[in-house]
Amino acid sequence: MTSRILSTAILGAVMIFLIGPFFIIVAASLSAGETLAFPPQGLSFRWVLKVFEIESFRSSFAMSMMLAVFGTLAALLIGTPVSYALARYKLPLGETIRTIVSAPIIVPGIVVGLALLRYLVIPFGFNLTLALFMAHTALVLPYAVRVVSASMTNLRSDIEEAAVLLGCSRLGAFLRVVLPNIRGGILAAFILGFVTSFNQVPVSLFLSGPGIRTLPIDMLAYLETTYDPSVAALSALLAFMSIGIVFLAERFLGFSRYV
Amino acid sequence: MFQSRAESLALVLPAMLFAAVIFIAPVLILLSEGLRPAGSWSLTYYISFFTTPLNLTVFLRTLKLGALVTVSAAVIGYAAALCIVNLSPKGRGQMVGLIVLPLMISPVARTYAWIVILGRTGIVNQALGALGLTDAPLRILFSETAIFIGLLQLFLPLMIISLVSALENMPRDAISAARVLGANWLQVFWKVILPLTKEGLVIGGTLVFTGSLTAYITPAILGGSKVLMLETLLYQRVTIANDFASASVIAMILIVMSFSANLLLKRLATARAKR
Repeated sequence: MTSRILSTAILGAVMIFLIGPFFIIVAASLSAGETLAFPPQGLSFRWVLKVFEIESFRSSFAMSMMLAVFGTLAALLIGTPVSYALARYKLPLGETIRTIVSAPIIVPGIVVGLALLRYLVIPFGFNLTLALFMAHTALVLPYAVRVVSASMTNLRSDIEEAAVLLGCSRLGAFLRVVLPNIRGGILAAFILGFVTSFNQVPVSLFLSGPGIRTLPIDMLAYLETTYDPSVAALSALLAFMSIGIVFLAERFLGFSRYV
Repeated sequence: MFQSRAESLALVLPAMLFAAVIFIAPVLILLSEGLRPAGSWSLTYYISFFTTPLNLTVFLRTLKLGALVTVSAAVIGYAAALCIVNLSPKGRGQMVGLIVLPLMISPVARTYAWIVILGRTGIVNQALGALGLTDAPLRILFSETAIFIGLLQLFLPLMIISLVSALENMPRDAISAARVLGANWLQVFWKVILPLTKEGLVIGGTLVFTGSLTAYITPAILGGSKVLMLETLLYQRVTIANDFASASVIAMILIVMSFSANLLLKRLATARAKR
């Protein structure tokens, strides 16, 4: 009995430490006061509404959304063939290939961002938005390859061979047999990539310019000058967005099977 | 059946080219820049980096915080994981879900909450003041303590999850067998649980340690401009002083540490696969 109470107390304390701050953010963002405070002074939605009025948040949100969607799509487009090749062919340098595509996990994002700025953007006049897109694609590539590979290994190769023997082209067999079977893995990779890219800060730090900024970087910049609850409100909104995405993914996809 | 080398090459080529041009080449050039002051190979930049007191302080602080966060996460992680594996399967799943959830939330949002809690007029100072324990508000924000708390909250889930899966793979009756044979709880932990879950501990520890070393958001928000860690130092050196030499040295330190951690993980994975 005592061990039961102890166990509940330990788990309760850990959960308060991990999730409690989130509730405080939500409460602070509903404050009617001028400055960030908990407990909130009065109750109002003024700061939640203000988030939508701040012009720079709107443009950086659009930028982050675009990077997360198209960066992840691009990573899947070049990453899925790698997963397929690694699963189906005896590649001479299989391990090396795997290491190269997962290198962005090992190299810290801030280093990648700086390297791109210094050796692609500055000397070649590379477009900053394009550099950001490339950086986010590189960042998501390891997750795309890993998650899609996981669903490829569960797929037997003989159904595909059967399709080819029955006269289907190789590409046709991939599109009609393999793709429908790894659909769940690809969707899971997309969600994981989207969330990773959207929340990522260090890789985009150096790749910012006038009017070109991702949302988390914009929030950090806003924090340096202002002490009102609008960032709390935005944080709460973003957290609800992430929770919503993960909840739906788990509900309809069994997301945690893939990750 | 599928053995064509040209086909397989065509499949992996786009990703390889992309990684080489966008990623590997620029990073290698950046690293080599720190090793070639004035066009010839030398360690001048490294020597001057480590002989500057501020840089050395930041380097040691980063290692210290990384170690402290890892050890604390291991202690709390074991306590939490042991409680979780004793729950019913359904409760276990829900608990793991709740612990994973914060990992999906923006780290900026998660770190920002600590400003509300630890600030001058934050909850902690309000409580201490109301209890009459302090006369003036304590300065917790913009200190190593604040960074430590922020990092621990950010990375604790990774440790708990690694330990839960290690404990789940442990033979269930090992603990009760040791208890029956007269071992007390401390002995059970040191002689049974720890050796049998060593791998999970190393996996979780590596994830937490490298995560802490390469953290940017936490020291940027909770450390301010004075209490720097390696990544915030790198950012400051480049934006304030255009000092790419130091940036290259820091990049090398970060990559070497994160690469060795990754190598260790891979070793463990192959050792387990062979068994």
